Parts: sequence; C-alpha cells; structure tokens
Amino acid sequence: MKKKLLSVMLASVLAMSMIGCGSSAVSGVTETETTESTDSAQSTDAAQSADATSAEPAGEGSGEDLNVMLETPVESLDPQQATDGTSFEVIADYTDGLMQMDADGQAVNAIAESVDISDDGLTYTFHLRADANWSNGDPVTANDFVFAWQRAVDPEIASEYSYMLSDIGQIVNAQDVIDGAKDKSELGVTAVDDKTLEVKLNVPVSYFLSLMYFPTFYPVNEAFYESVGDTFATSPETTLSNGAFVLDDYQPAATAIHLTKNENYYDAAKVKLAGLNYQVIQDSQQALMSYQNGDLDTTLVNGEQVDQVKDDPAFAAIGAGYMWYISPNIKEVKELDNLNIRYAITMALNREAITTDVLKDGSAPTYTSVPMDFAAGPDGSDFSADQTMFSDYCKYDAAAAADYWAKGLEELGITELNLTMIHDADDAPIKVAQVVKEQLETTLPGLTVDLQQMPKKERVERMQEGEFEIALTRWGPDYADPMTYLGMWVTNNSNNYGFWSNAEYDKIIDECTTGETAMDPAARWAALYDAEKIVMEEAVIFPLYTQCNAELISTSVSGIEFHPVALNRVYKNAVKN
Amino acid sequence: MKKYVIKRVVTALFTLLAITLILFILMQLMPGSPFNDEKLNDTQRASLYAKYGLDQPIVVQFFRYVINMFKGDLGVSYKISKNTPITQLIASRLPISIGVGFAAVMIGALVGLCLGLLAAFKKDTVWDTLATIISVIGVSVPSYVFALALSYQFGFKLKWFPMLFSAKDVIGSSVLPSISLSMFTMASIARFTRAEMIEVLGSDYMLLAESKGLSGNKLIFAHALRNALIPIITVLAPLVVDLMTGSLVVEKIFSIPGVGSLLVNAIQSNDYNVVIALSFIYSAMYIGIMLVVDILYGVIDPRIRVAKEGD
Amino acid sequence: MADTTVLTKEPYVPQDEDFKLKGNIEDILVDTNFASQSFWKEVVARFRKKKSAVLGLIFVLVITFFAFIGPGMNQYTYSGQDLSQKNLAPRIPIIEYTGFFDGHENIATTKGTKTVNLYFENKLPDVFYWFGSDNFGRDIWTRTWSGAQVSLIIAVAAAIIDMIIGMSYGLISGYFGGKVDMVMQRILEIANGIPRLVIVTLLLLVFKPGMLTIIVALMLTEWVGMSRIARAEMLKLKEQEFVLASRTLGAGSMHIIFSEVLPNIIGPIITQVMFSIPTAIFTEAFLSFVGLGIPVPRCSLGSLISEGFNSFTTHPYQIIPPIVVMALLMLSFNLVADGLREALDPKLKEM
Repeated sequence: MKKKLLSVMLASVLAMSMIGCGSSAVSGVTETETTESTDSAQSTDAAQSADATSAEPAGEGSGEDLNVMLETPVESLDPQQATDGTSFEVIADYTDGLMQMDADGQAVNAIAESVDISDDGLTYTFHLRADANWSNGDPVTANDFVFAWQRAVDPEIASEYSYMLSDIGQIVNAQDVIDGAKDKSELGVTAVDDKTLEVKLNVPVSYFLSLMYFPTFYPVNEAFYESVGDTFATSPETTLSNGAFVLDDYQPAATAIHLTKNENYYDAAKVKLAGLNYQVIQDSQQALMSYQNGDLDTTLVNGEQVDQVKDDPAFAAIGAGYMWYISPNIKEVKELDNLNIRYAITMALNREAITTDVLKDGSAPTYTSVPMDFAAGPDGSDFSADQTMFSDYCKYDAAAAADYWAKGLEELGITELNLTMIHDADDAPIKVAQVVKEQLETTLPGLTVDLQQMPKKERVERMQEGEFEIALTRWGPDYADPMTYLGMWVTNNSNNYGFWSNAEYDKIIDECTTGETAMDPAARWAALYDAEKIVMEEAVIFPLYTQCNAELISTSVSGIEFHPVALNRVYKNAVKN
Repeated sequence: MKKYVIKRVVTALFTLLAITLILFILMQLMPGSPFNDEKLNDTQRASLYAKYGLDQPIVVQFFRYVINMFKGDLGVSYKISKNTPITQLIASRLPISIGVGFAAVMIGALVGLCLGLLAAFKKDTVWDTLATIISVIGVSVPSYVFALALSYQFGFKLKWFPMLFSAKDVIGSSVLPSISLSMFTMASIARFTRAEMIEVLGSDYMLLAESKGLSGNKLIFAHALRNALIPIITVLAPLVVDLMTGSLVVEKIFSIPGVGSLLVNAIQSNDYNVVIALSFIYSAMYIGIMLVVDILYGVIDPRIRVAKEGD
Repeated sequence: MADTTVLTKEPYVPQDEDFKLKGNIEDILVDTNFASQSFWKEVVARFRKKKSAVLGLIFVLVITFFAFIGPGMNQYTYSGQDLSQKNLAPRIPIIEYTGFFDGHENIATTKGTKTVNLYFENKLPDVFYWFGSDNFGRDIWTRTWSGAQVSLIIAVAAAIIDMIIGMSYGLISGYFGGKVDMVMQRILEIANGIPRLVIVTLLLLVFKPGMLTIIVALMLTEWVGMSRIARAEMLKLKEQEFVLASRTLGAGSMHIIFSEVLPNIIGPIITQVMFSIPTAIFTEAFLSFVGLGIPVPRCSLGSLISEGFNSFTTHPYQIIPPIVVMALLMLSFNLVADGLREALDPKLKEM
C-alpha cells in the first residue's frame, strides 16, 4: 500500500492487459474460447473487444445456470466490508458500479453514462444512466454512491479497504474522515442531483476511473440499508441488486450460492446465462470429480492433478496477479545485510524448476520486482514484459551463487549460516518452501534453512514486527500501476519487510508520485525502471514467480472474463451452450 | 435427589463460566491478531481495535462478554460478514452439524452394537477376530481418506449418492458424510459392547438365570443385553457431542456448511468471538449431556447417587 | 475323613509307614490345577493363547523394525529431492519382470486412462524407487519408514507421558476424595470441556512447531481418559484391607498410592496405554491434515498421507504405502491392546 500521494498524470486511462500465463507455461490452452489473451505484450486497444465479441454467439443464450466452483466461502457481501477476491466476484455479479471492467480489464461505463473530468484532473462529474434500477424498483441515484462512499470511510464501519478512497483514490478529506478528524459528510463527494455525482480529488489520479469498478466504490441504497440495519447483505432478502444477476440463495459463509438473471437489468439483453450457481469445494479432488460428473462448468485444479488434465482442451492457466517472493530481513539479520550473501541466495533459486516441476499450474518464473501482465505503460506494453532486464542480478546460476556465497562468508568471517524461513501453512507455500530449502542447501555449502509454517495471519504479524529471518510472502496488485509494488520498498513503509532503506530510491519514488517526473508519463516510466533496478541490484527481495491458477473451463462455456486485479472473474458476457 | 440435581446444575454453570474465562485468556495468547491485513495501516488497525473493544483490558472484555451472553448475544464475527451476530451465523449451521452427527452416531451405534455382540458370543473364534478387524479398520484409515474413497466409489463411480452436501437433498447428500463420521463411534461401541457383554455373560446372575432354565433368546435380551447397555450409554454420550459439533475434515471434504469448518477457519483467522462462541456451545453441550447422563444414572442406579452425594 | 471313620468299625491305628515320605517330590509339587505361577507368567500364557493378539504383536515388531532400519536400506534420504525423478511409480529390481512394480502407472485423465512408464520416458533404466517417488522426487520407501519412525516415537512418548500424568492425577484425586477430589474433578471437567482442537491448535501456534510440541499436544488430549480409569480403580481399591493395613502400619499417603495401590491397577493402565498409542498416531494424522503436523521436510505417517492426499486420484501409489503402514499399525496395536486387556483381567478369561 502506498503512503505517498499519487499524482500520476497520464493522458489516457491506464489500460490493464490481461495476464497471459499461457505464454510462459502450459501449452494446449488456446483452444478454449475464454478471453485470456496469450500474448502478454498485446496492444490492449486493438484487441480488447476481439475475444469478447467472438466468444459471443449472438442470441444463443441457452438459459442455463453456470456452475462455478469457489475455493473459499464468501466472507462478506457488504461492498464496503468485503476484502477478498471471492466476495468481490459475487458482489460484482449483482452490483454494478459507476464503471465496469471489460474483457481486457479496462474501465467502461456502467451506471455512469458519461464522465466529465475537469482540466486540472481534480474534479470528476459522473452522469448516471436513467434506466438503472435497484431490484426493489428504486432508481439508482447519486445519493446511493455518496452514502456508500461515506460508509467506506466511516470510522464506525471501519472498512479495511478505506485506503482505496484515501491513499489510492485521493478523494478530498477521505483520510481525515477515516482518522476521525472530520465528519463523514465532509468527504469530497456530493450528489449534485439524483443523477449527477461530483467527486473532488486532492491530486490528479490517472487511474481514478479504473477504481470505479472496485467493489468498495459500489453504491448502497440508503433507505434499504436503514430498513435492514445490521443484517444488511447477510441474506437474499437483505440484499439489493442493480446488476446482471439477483442473489436468491445465500447465507453468511455459505457453501452454496445461487444467483438468477436480473430481467430488469438495463443491459439484460446481453446477459445470456439464466443464473449462476456457486459451489464452495475446499477439496480439490472432490472438485475435479464434480467437474467430470458435469456438476461444475469450471473448476480450479490442483498442481498434482495437472497430470490428469493437461491434455484436456478445457485446461487453462489463468493469471491470478500475485507475485510470490522471498523477503530477507536485512535490518535484523546481519548476515543478510551482506549483499554477496543476498546475491548468493537469489541466484541459487531455480525458479523454472519451481514453476514447471512443482507448481505445474502455469505460474511464471519472475526475475523482476514487479510481476508480469498487470501494468501497461504509455505505449501500451507490459511493464515487466522483458524478464531479462534485471535477470543478471537474480537468475539461477549455481556457480556464481557459490562464488558470491564464499565471498560473503569470508567477509562475515563465518563458515556456516542457519536461516529460518517462515511461510504460510497452505498447499502452494508448503511445496515452494521445501524446494527453496533444498535448492539453497544444495547450492550453498554451509547453509541450513529451517522451515516454519504458520497461518497467514501470524506470518503477516511476524513480518510486520520484524520477527523473522527470511519469509516466503506474496503481494497482489491493488491497481494497475507498478507503483503498487515499487511503493512498498520506500523507507519506513509498513510492507517494507526487509526494513531496507535507500535515499536514492526514496527520491525516485517521490519524484514519480508528486514531483516533476509524475507529469511526464514516458519519463516516469523510465524512472520507475531506475527504481526497480535499485531494488534488484541490491537484492532487496528475491522474486520467485507470478501466480497462475490452473483451471478447467468446460468447452461448452465461453465468455468468462478473467482479471488479475479487483474482479477475478466476470460472468456478464458468459455463454453456456 | 432434588438437592443432588441442583448441586450438579450449579457446579456445571460454574464450570462453564470458568471455561469461558480460560477461552478468553487463550485467545489473548494466540499469536497474530484479527486485523493485521497487510493493506491496513496503524491508524486503521487502532480504530478497528477500538471499534470492537479489543483495546480494553481483558477483564473488561470478559465481563462485557458474559453479560452480553446472558442476553443471548454472542458478539459479532470479525471476518465473516462483519457485524453479523454470531448467533445468526450458528443458527443455520448447528442443525446441519447436529443432523449429520446424529445420523452418524445412530449408524455407528447400531453397527457397533451388532459387531460387539457377535464378537462377544463367538468369543475367540474367527468371527471375533473378524468383527474386531472390521470395527478397527474404520478407525485405521484417516477419516479424510475414507471419506474421499467413499465419495470416489459411491459418488463418482456408482453415482448412488451426491458427492457434495446439497440443501435440496439433505438426506441423500448426508449419507456419505454420516458413514465416514460413524466409523469412530462404531469401533468404540463395538469394542465396548464386546467387553461389557463378556463380563455380563460371565456374571453370577446370568448363571442363575440359565440354571433356572431360561432359553437362549430371552436370556440374552432380557438379562444380558439390558445390563450391558447401561454402561454403553456413558460411552455414547460424549461421542454424540463430538460428532454433533461436527468433524472439520468430513465437513471440508463434503462441503457441509456446519460448525466444524467454521471453528477451524475462525482459529486460523483469529476470529476470537467465533472461536469463543463455538467453543462455549461445544462445552455447554458436552457438560449438559454429561449432566443428564449423570442424573439419569442416579435414577437408574441409586448406588451411584449415594456415592456422589457422599463426596 | 469323617465318613470313613464312621464306616470302619474298629479305630484305625496309624502305622509308621504313614509318616514316611513317599519320595516322589516332583509329582507332589506339580499341581496341574493350581500351578504356582507368577502373575506375569500367567498373563504371557493367556496372551499367547490369543492368536490375533500375537499376530498383532508380530506386526508391531516388524513395522518398528522397518521404521528404524528401512530408511537406511537404500541410497535415498527422506528429504533429498530430485525434481527430474518426480512422480515415478514403484519399481523393484527382479520383481519388475513379472509386470508388477515395473514402474508403469495408469493415470486416469479427464480424457480417459493412459498407461505410462516414466522410467523409460525419462531414460532412467538403472533407477529404482521401491515404493515410487513423490512430487519432489523423494523416495517414498524411505519417507514411509522414517515417517513411521516419527509417528511411533511421537505416539509412544505421548502415551507414556499421558500415562504418568493422568495416572498420578487420577490416583491422587481418587485416594484423597472429598474436597481434593471435588476440586480436581472440576479442573478436569473444565479441561475436558474446552474443545481439544482449540487447545491443541493454540498450543501448536504458541510454541515452536516440532516433535516435542506435538507430543505435548497429544498428551493433553489423552490424559483425561487415563486419569478417569486410575481414579475409578483407586475408588475400588482404597477401601480394601491391604490399604487399611498399610495405613495402620503408618505408611504415608504417597507410599500407599504409588507402592501399594499402583501395582494392583497396572493391568488396566497398560491396556489404556496400548489403546492410546493408536489414538495418538491418529490424532497426529489429523493435525497434519489441518497443517499443524510435523514441520516439513520431516514427515510422519500422517503428514505423508495428507501430502499424498492431493495426488490420491492422480498418483494413488503415493498415498498407499503410508496408509497401509498406518492401518496395519493401528490394527496391530488394537489387537495387542485387546489381547493384553483380556490377559491382564482374568475375569474376562472365561465365559
């Protein structure tokens, strides 16, 4: 998360290209009509609608339910309280924000019919469409947004994602309201009339429109909310829809969720599915068997099951956005303060082996500190498309690693080093940690890596407190700009787990957010590369891979849109034959 | 008798209160905190703590909790649909867990009883060994493997029963989970029945009944079984609670929206209120059932009551 | 004797011969009905009569043997990975010519079953994994036995510690009775009332995960049952004459509890220990499944099963060895425990 102001001034909305795991990993993916684009460097504007439209045999809606597997239960359907991808996905099924995500992850108008942006980029005026209604018949008004956004920053509600309005969205007074210094009515968002919403920002935020499809910004009908009180969004009766589907079967932490097509949706003609049928299945083998039985149309596949499904045309690797990396505790562990030791460790990591031999889900080895396929630059190309850019500082090279290791040990005057690596007690991290241990111990003589697994909550706490030596961790992008990663390693950032500090780096990041450079997209882009170079040169983190999920998507289904940021799956245009 | 019952109920209440206090202290010892998402900053964390009263001293939190509990309010979850009362969360899940658990106990008790009787009557024969093996095999393989094997064979291959729990077909989709859960009960009951039965069959009054000329069936059902069953009820009671509060593993595999998986997720995400509430319900059920069994026992067998009152 | 005197008319005059030793001393001392045997000799004899128990004991010994010898029987180690040799099916020299254990496997893919032999595909003619290799290319034979070793150590240690603690607790509580018993039983009720999962999870989260922590966690789940049995036995015995005699002779409470009563209840206690070993193995397996088991890359039977669980439908051979070993171990311990119980409790001997 960023602490610094963002004032990125770009001429156009940043486009988010689809993540293209297929290009780097599993073959035999392309036959499916899903919208994932296999070429990561693809020009977003030209190709954006191609997939979506070709995948849409006009008028052939069979009127069937789409059966979807969920790995974890929905945590909350309250748009301002939800924090996890699963919840976001379901909320977005039945709620439209001002903007929506298209197949390529670009923001397109939804409830907003048009947007006026002031010349200084500080005022956004949204004009809402007249035919947008809630499922109880009420029209969707500007006040619904004002109410919802005020909830998001209300200290009473204590929304975990309030920083989307303050740090990232830069809405006037958001931070003060969150801190309790100002009343929520002073938030810089006003309903000029029923259908006009005006938002004021502290500084220009280039990607502001793309935030509008983030569920934290979704509207809530005030009168309805008042009528249901605390039970809001805990059952179909206490939920209102203004989107493509209507929720009709749900309870908190349910294992089965059902939604039916919303006939009163303004865009109902485009919705081909009769409904969505979510089934939470935590065991991957039950999931695969259910898929084979025809009870599911799409399911997640475990790395171990890939042998069973790799020849299936329904098999696809879908980008999940997360970058996994190892964070050394540079400040507390003096051995890790030695650059040669850090080089030795990062060069002893065989990332190819981790992704192809162990994970097997299509995850892509990563040699940059910003993962691939989520942030496109001024010229439309992916920020991290060129993985060889900094690979000299981290690429697997057993001989070089051993050399650095020997040099480092000599400098430190030791012959042995014992490191404890903490990691999450989940399937993938446990596997990766074991390979990492083996790779490091075989390549670097005298190194012992002890593994310590724990629930994620505890691991995060340990990292925040600095009570660790090395840690296997991951980071998912909040918005489509490299800054969501590079901002982390600024001095004193709460997610700078290595407690690394570099004045030059801080200066570049500062320049890119509030300084001169921020005004010039091309120069900013170049400066961000400079910053990334410092991170890689100093081996502040040891990047591992960009996560992909191996999925089976029945060949009779097309048009599901996958995204690495915000909404992982969008079904509005999905078709099932 | 009345005095005895009152005394037992009062001690049970104090036990529950003590358990709640210990749970509170345990929650404090738990590493991690419910609100340490990487994306939160310190001010936000502090305001979340303040909102849920977690910044208060533990004593204050405890008394507030106990007072609310008496009002029937078990607090709110920090994770699942924040601010939803836990009572609402549990209300829909407990019946499912109890249902599946009860079915499992019934299956387990019946099959276990039959195996136990068979083993006792055919003691030291092949039947005895076979019954032992059958009853132990159920607990020799971890329940998740057993559950998956059942699901694969009867759900996927033969398609007799649904592989996953479904609200539309509660009975049909409860068959496989109930069988997977019943194995432990079955083995315990079988073993216990066998031991009890052998002891009863060897007792003097059985010899007397036999010498009075009672025939086989009457002898077994009127005399032996009745006396053997009473101790079995004591073994069964805690098993009922264990199963009714759900088995996390079986719930996870069959996607059952029960309380077992809720508890484990809550522990791992530091959702204190849910952990305390579920543990409390579990303890209350356990102590409640033990209390009922104790009192019933006192009614059936006055010797026990006398012994206990003597304490 | 009285009858004979009545029948004889004349009083019998004892002769000298009547007072001579017959000389066949061996015959006299051998009493076929009431042979003078020690208690333990009797137990062994009764145990040996029960075939299933003997069989169980043999299995326990064999598995224990392999658990300590097995991991050293080939060149692999339990943690050594070789990603180029991952997911290889079982292959054993010589036996491979029979068509079994020759390294082939049938993979049930979504597009039908296919048979592959990765040893040939990967050109590994001289490589043998007797039980196959896992998804890191580790030898399953070595891992299974070293897992069995870890499981056995954990279970036996937990059972013994819980015996010591539970037994002492139960004996003391039962012996003193009254207020002491009341307080101790309430404490036990409280400890028993908190769901085990909560205590065990917390314990494993608070302390550094490892063998010792797991042993303590397992002990916590078992000691209550042990103390109940000890207390019940104590209540039965403490009113008996030998206890009274000791007390009259001035023996202290602790002496009576541990030197007088304890030896008399060792039977039920040992039986309970034997039953708690398989329970401990099983609980450990459950902890592994919840992610609280022995830290990787060390393994126990439980962690091996939960590791292989994900490949259950893809590469079933990976989960079969630990399951079979665990099932045999559970079954054998149960049979031994059953046999011991009957051997130790003569009441159950005859119907």
